[in-house]
Order: sequence, then structure tokens, then C-alpha cells
Amino acid sequence: MSANPTIASPDRPVAPTRSGRRAVAAAILVVVVGWSVSGLGVSLDRLLGAPGDAWDIFRRMVPPAFAEAAERGVVGKVLESVHIAWIGTLIGATLSLPLAFLAAENVAPAAVRIPVRQLFNVIRAVPELILAVILIPITGLGPWAGALAIGIHSVGTLGKWATETIEGVDTGPLEAVAATGGRWVSGMRWGVVPQILPVVTSQWLFRFEINVRASAVLGMIGAGGVGSELVSQLVFRNFPAVGAVLLMTIAVVLSIDTASAAVRRRIIRGAATSSGIDSDEDRNAAVLADLTGLGR
Amino acid sequence: MNTPLIGTTTGRPSRPRRGLRLWPVVGALAAYTLFAGHKVGFDASTFWNVWSNPLWEKFWPIPWDWVLDRHNVLDPLVETLQIAVVSTLIGCTLALPLAFAMSPLTSPNRVTLVVSRSAMNVVRAVPDLFWAKLLVTAVGVGAFAGSWALSVFSLGVMVKLFSETIDGADPRPLEAARAAGGRHGPVVRTGVLPTVLPEYVAYGLYVFELNIRASVVLGLVGAGGIGRVVEAQRQYFRFDRVLGVLVLVFVVVFVIEQVSVAIRRRLV
Repeated sequence: MSANPTIASPDRPVAPTRSGRRAVAAAILVVVVGWSVSGLGVSLDRLLGAPGDAWDIFRRMVPPAFAEAAERGVVGKVLESVHIAWIGTLIGATLSLPLAFLAAENVAPAAVRIPVRQLFNVIRAVPELILAVILIPITGLGPWAGALAIGIHSVGTLGKWATETIEGVDTGPLEAVAATGGRWVSGMRWGVVPQILPVVTSQWLFRFEINVRASAVLGMIGAGGVGSELVSQLVFRNFPAVGAVLLMTIAVVLSIDTASAAVRRRIIRGAATSSGIDSDEDRNAAVLADLTGLGR
Repeated sequence: MNTPLIGTTTGRPSRPRRGLRLWPVVGALAAYTLFAGHKVGFDASTFWNVWSNPLWEKFWPIPWDWVLDRHNVLDPLVETLQIAVVSTLIGCTLALPLAFAMSPLTSPNRVTLVVSRSAMNVVRAVPDLFWAKLLVTAVGVGAFAGSWALSVFSLGVMVKLFSETIDGADPRPLEAARAAGGRHGPVVRTGVLPTVLPEYVAYGLYVFELNIRASVVLGLVGAGGIGRVVEAQRQYFRFDRVLGVLVLVFVVVFVIEQVSVAIRRRLV
């Protein structure tokens, strides 16, 4: 075949040149990683042996000893984690909703708004586990420490999400209330709350899902729930029971996720509102925003 | 419509009827709340006791000369950062092929797709500190176990995020490469990888930020890093030291995050 006449230059286009910055970035990465590995005290045989050791533990969990675990009251412990998550979510919801009104750009003055927002940011930056470490000496070991830690941490995210929802409301009803001579509180109650309630409720449910996982972990440092059971069975090296605890936790976490997601979908679809967390991707972004404390 | 609207007095519009189902649901939730509150040990006095507890004084003043001592705090803090770096690298490296297997667009076959997806769902359902504790039992106390646990955690997050990016990638370069007769591997590498690579790097940094935070608490279960110091001082009832360490950690975490956010902004 001869050269195609419509193409003026049959040569392959020139590859874009790589900038030197890329090489510099790669070099920095190599140095940082090398320094990190050297600091962790990893020897080659340990590195190669680790997957085998881990696999050995998982193999010994089969078959899981459900009967023994049930006898030791693991079911009650899993449910206690759910109770902690529920109470924590309610504490967070109760505290965050009034604060969100004080943080929203369209309904609160700047002098109030900025400190409340900073409060949300600071709270979000402190994980539940750290809060529990601080709270346990005060409240004593037990589920109450976990519930309070979860409640306080939830204020940060729930407040941020509710603030964003309030900022997205239609201002028509607010103006209508103002036109009839209503006070600020009336405007919030009749102009804003009916609009945000479906979205905010679904945010609470979503936070509840996150909190169930969090409260399972909180038990590991003594703040109530199933985590303590996992730790004690691992200390006794009773691996079949560990397997049972793990499977029960996974089952409860996944079924609460599924049920709560179904309710949230129903609430949001009924409300025909598109803001808030209603799709999987938004949800993903919200989890990450929560974990990193960063905006989307 | 034949009746004129203007001038007619219409009554107040009738209220929308509440569904009767609402009240049983509210009642059930209220009953559950009371039950859960009882189980958790909540009552108004406990709420008050928390704020008026004299133990709060033990958190103050912060002993800064102890906190800023190299051996006490700074070395474990460096270890925390090293755990985060290594596990981000391991997790993200493993996530690259796995994410391609998990997206319908680039998966080699249906079996790989279903198996990898369901396996990763189970991995993600186990909380990160559960992984840490399991691996501490498997390979021993220390930063090594922590790095493994965080690697698993990063893998779970990264695979989820990145496979969704691949789902949304432009399929046309892929089709072009297939039409040219490419085999599966080269087709994916030349047709999809270049379009999603910036997101891959950005998500990698995102996961690094997550890991920095997660690695702070790893030590609470014996998996190395600064959490080890927090756990030890907590057992000696030196809450002033605990608070000092936490304040220092959050300053460091905050600075690293700001740098990472700045880099991510330039990438995407």
C-alpha cells in the first residue's frame, strides 16, 4: 500500500517530552519510601513469613465456634455496639442540628457562623478512638464512654452536612414567613426545617451506619461493644471463637448498611430532593470527607 | 374551569394528612431509644457528671518538655509516618491491578470480576483496627503488623475509589485498541491507564492522608507508632502527657494534610 495522500506527514507524532520535575518527584518518593522501610525494622525473612503467618490464623478460624461464642454472650455484645452507635448518633444529631442553623451562611450572621464552623472542623479532626481515650478516665470503662465519644465526633460531620443542606434551601418560604412578620425562630421552624428534614434524616441514618463500625472498634480499648470480645478471644488464642465474633460483626454491619441504605433511598426519593447523600458516589465522597476532614 | 377564580373565597386549604404509619414507627424508635439508652447507661445525671468530674484537672498542665523529648514522643511519631508511607505504597500498588479486575470495563472475564468484587466487599466490612489486632496476633506486636493492617485498609479504600474511576473512563480508546487487535493486557495499559493515571495518583495521596490519621490510633492495639505512647501513658494515668501527645500529633497531621491537599489540587 502506498502512502495515504490525505495525511500530510505520515510520521508518528512526537512523544510529549517528560519534564524534569517528574524525575525529581520520583527521586523524592524513592528516598522517602527507603527511609520509611528502613525505620520499620523489617527483615527479609519476616517479610516473606508474614503472609504465611496471617493465613495460618485465618485457617485456624475455620470452622467458627458459633455455639461457644453465643454462650459467652457475643450476641449481646454485638447488639451493645448497635445500641452505642444509636445513642451516639442521637446525641450527635441533637447537638448538631441547632448548631447547623448558627453555621449556615444564609441564615446566620458572620460573627456566629465562623466560630461554629471552626468548632465543626476541630471536632471532625479528632477520631472517636482518641475521644474515647480522653473520656474513659472521666466516665469509667463501659458503653457510656463509647456513646459519648461517638456522639461528640458525630457533631462535626452531621453539623457540616446539615449546614450545607440549610445553605441549599429555597428562600421563598423564608421570605414568606418574614413577610408575615415572623421572628427568626419562626422562619427557621416553618421556612427551613420542612425543607431540610428529609435530607437531614437521611444524613443521620448514614452517620448511624458509620457509627456502627466505629463502635465495634471502640470496644477494643474498653468503651463497650463487641471489640472487647475480639480482643479477649485473641488473647486466649481461641481462633474458632474469633472467627465467630468476626463473622457476627460483619453480618450485623452489612445488614444495618443494607437496611439503612434502603430507608435512606425511600426518604430521599419521597422528598424529591437531589441535594444530600443519595447516590453511591456521593456516599463514598462523604465517607472520605469524614475520614480526612476535607471537603469534597 | 368555568367558575371564575377571582373574587371567590376559598377556604383554608386542607392539611396534608399524615400517613398513619408514621406514628408506629416513631413509637418503635422512641421505645428502642429508651431501651438502648438504658443498656448504654445513659441518664441525665451521667451527662452532667462528665463535665463536673474533678479528674479533668489531671489533663492539665501539659508537660511540654516531656512531650518534645526525642525518645518519648518524636521517634514513635516518625514511626507512625513511616507506617503510613509504606502501607500507602503497598496498598496502592496492589490496588492497581485489582481495580482493573474489578471494573466491568477492563475485567478480563466475568469470574474475575465477581470474585474480586465480593472479596473486597468482605475486606472492607472488617474495621481497620480489627485487621490491626488480627495481624498483631499473627506477626507479633509492632510497626510491622501495623504496616500490614494499614496496607489491607488502603487496599480496600483505594480499590473501591479507583475501580469507580475506571468505570467512568472513556471507553473509546479501549475500543480502538481492541479493534486494532490488541491483547487484553496491552489494550488496558494503552487504552485506559493513561486516562485514569492522574486520578490514581490523587487518590493515592488521599489514601495517604487517611493512613496518617489511621496510623495514629494503630498503637492502641499494639500495632506500633505514636498510639503506643498514648496507650502506655494512659495506663500510668498520666493524662497530661496523653493530651500533650495528642495536641502535637494533630498539629503534625494537619500540616501534612495541607501539603497533600495542595499537591492534589494541582494534579486534578
